[in-house]
Amino acid sequence: MKIINTDIAIMGSGLAGLSAAVTALEKGARVAVFEKRPFQGGGVSNTPMMTLAVRDDQAYKDKAFKLHMEYTNWNANPDVVRSWIDNSSRIPDFIRGLGIEFAGSMMNPLEELGTKRGYGAGFPNAFHIGDYYYLKPIGQGHGAAVICKKMADRVKALGGELHFSTPIQSLIKEGDKVVGALAKDKEGNTVQINAKAVIVASGGFSDDKELLAELGLKLTDKNCSDGGNVVFNHFCNAQLTADGQKAVWKIGGARSGMAVNGHNMCPGPGIVAHNVGWIHRNKLRTVQEQPYLWVNHKGERFISEEQSDCHMAMVTAINNTKEKYAYLVFDEDTAKHMEEDGVEYFYFIFKAVKLTDVRKQFEEVIAKGNKHVFLTDTLEDLADQTGIRKEALLKTIETYNGYCDQGYDAQYAKDPKYLFPVRKSKFYAMRVFVGGYHAYGGIKVNGRCEVLDKDFDVIQGLYAAGDCCASEIYGNPPVGGIGVSTLSFAQGFITADQATAYVQQ
Amino acid sequence: MKIEIKDFCIRCGLCEDLYPELFHFDHPSDSIILKSEEVSGDLIEVAKNAARDCAIAAIHLKN
Repeated sequence: MKIINTDIAIMGSGLAGLSAAVTALEKGARVAVFEKRPFQGGGVSNTPMMTLAVRDDQAYKDKAFKLHMEYTNWNANPDVVRSWIDNSSRIPDFIRGLGIEFAGSMMNPLEELGTKRGYGAGFPNAFHIGDYYYLKPIGQGHGAAVICKKMADRVKALGGELHFSTPIQSLIKEGDKVVGALAKDKEGNTVQINAKAVIVASGGFSDDKELLAELGLKLTDKNCSDGGNVVFNHFCNAQLTADGQKAVWKIGGARSGMAVNGHNMCPGPGIVAHNVGWIHRNKLRTVQEQPYLWVNHKGERFISEEQSDCHMAMVTAINNTKEKYAYLVFDEDTAKHMEEDGVEYFYFIFKAVKLTDVRKQFEEVIAKGNKHVFLTDTLEDLADQTGIRKEALLKTIETYNGYCDQGYDAQYAKDPKYLFPVRKSKFYAMRVFVGGYHAYGGIKVNGRCEVLDKDFDVIQGLYAAGDCCASEIYGNPPVGGIGVSTLSFAQGFITADQATAYVQQ
Repeated sequence: MKIEIKDFCIRCGLCEDLYPELFHFDHPSDSIILKSEEVSGDLIEVAKNAARDCAIAAIHLKN
């Protein structure tokens, strides 16, 4: 058996694991990082494109904290939220210290916090709690991939160890302390890691079908062609199977909430690229953001459509339908409106104002075999092709058109500026599924990122950071969220601070 | 011209999405497969674009 002795063993080499490694090395600890894949990066191999830092100003931090806690109805862990917010101001300098400049930034004034959609669009106002920093990518990638590579290089330069293709499979606990872990190297040999502390930063569980099934979700492919109902558009192929969570649970760690960070999606083919969710093939990805008429499979409205630029709200509402999918429906006049006047909403990754030739784009995607995009001459045909209950759909549209004529939505009080009737052929529909950026949570921690056992007592020498404990930030059960990169960086710093102090005692 | 994929490739699959004529993401082996290690003619420009667009600068070209 191969033996590795170190101060701090880190499970996972994503943003959380590597920021912990760099920080701990700079504090003088010996560090060894273990990654199951043959390269650094984990789930961030294809995301994210920005991060958030709450500036180091007490009034600003206090407001951000209160906004976030109110958003979660105070079922997030306030100590974990507070420590994340307090440490997030370290992020910009840390990234610059890697030799990386930001592509840009958006400074959000104190008095405006919580007044806009988080990150500009796509997320609840409760994520409008700090300054946004755009990570500078290379090529057509996202910036986090570059940051992880730079951090891996920094770990090596600082004398740390990086063990790729060496998954940690279990933790070693003696009494009430974690004292190491067991891993397998790429030849299949067992590696015993003797460590004074272990940081679990192994990511979420987007690829774990059993854990997703516990949430009532069936992981499907990018085309939703196998009867499944949840599709991920980021962190694809990252092999996120809750390895850290399972190792922690096995030694008595408490289980915290687990959730999918929602992102409603009309699947492929022909809309976005197969592997990388931000490579779009046309403008249909922008169409599915719009606040026109949305109905469920029964032909009934189910949400005020003005929420369509809040992905978590849309996914929650779609997830509450029996089928776990819904339809955006509009007519030729609205298609023309998107071309001549512009769209109501755009998601910040897919910037668009006026679309071009919406009908042609629908026809092209349908010709590619997409089973979730529809274009018909009559509403009856639309019902037949989509499977939406015909009578109910026609009745809903009749009522909805009345709201449009009156300029008042008596059902959900949707802003009148988003009331567009469905009258003129041709008729368009997109079937939109429960989707997600990723799935996260499972490990319960305190504000020092120490892992808690089933009695909520600290397991000595064991820390967790990033997606694997993100539900402590988003509540239990989690209310969803985004911006986990800010959490991953900040908790990387916190676990490094705490673990280094612990091993140097 | 020869194409080389460096070992720090992060398997995001962007190269397959953009340039399927040169790259295949083999999920069972978690590896990016070059359809041809040596390119000529029109594929030289494709390979240059792939090297430029790679998220981690892992695609290298050699004359």
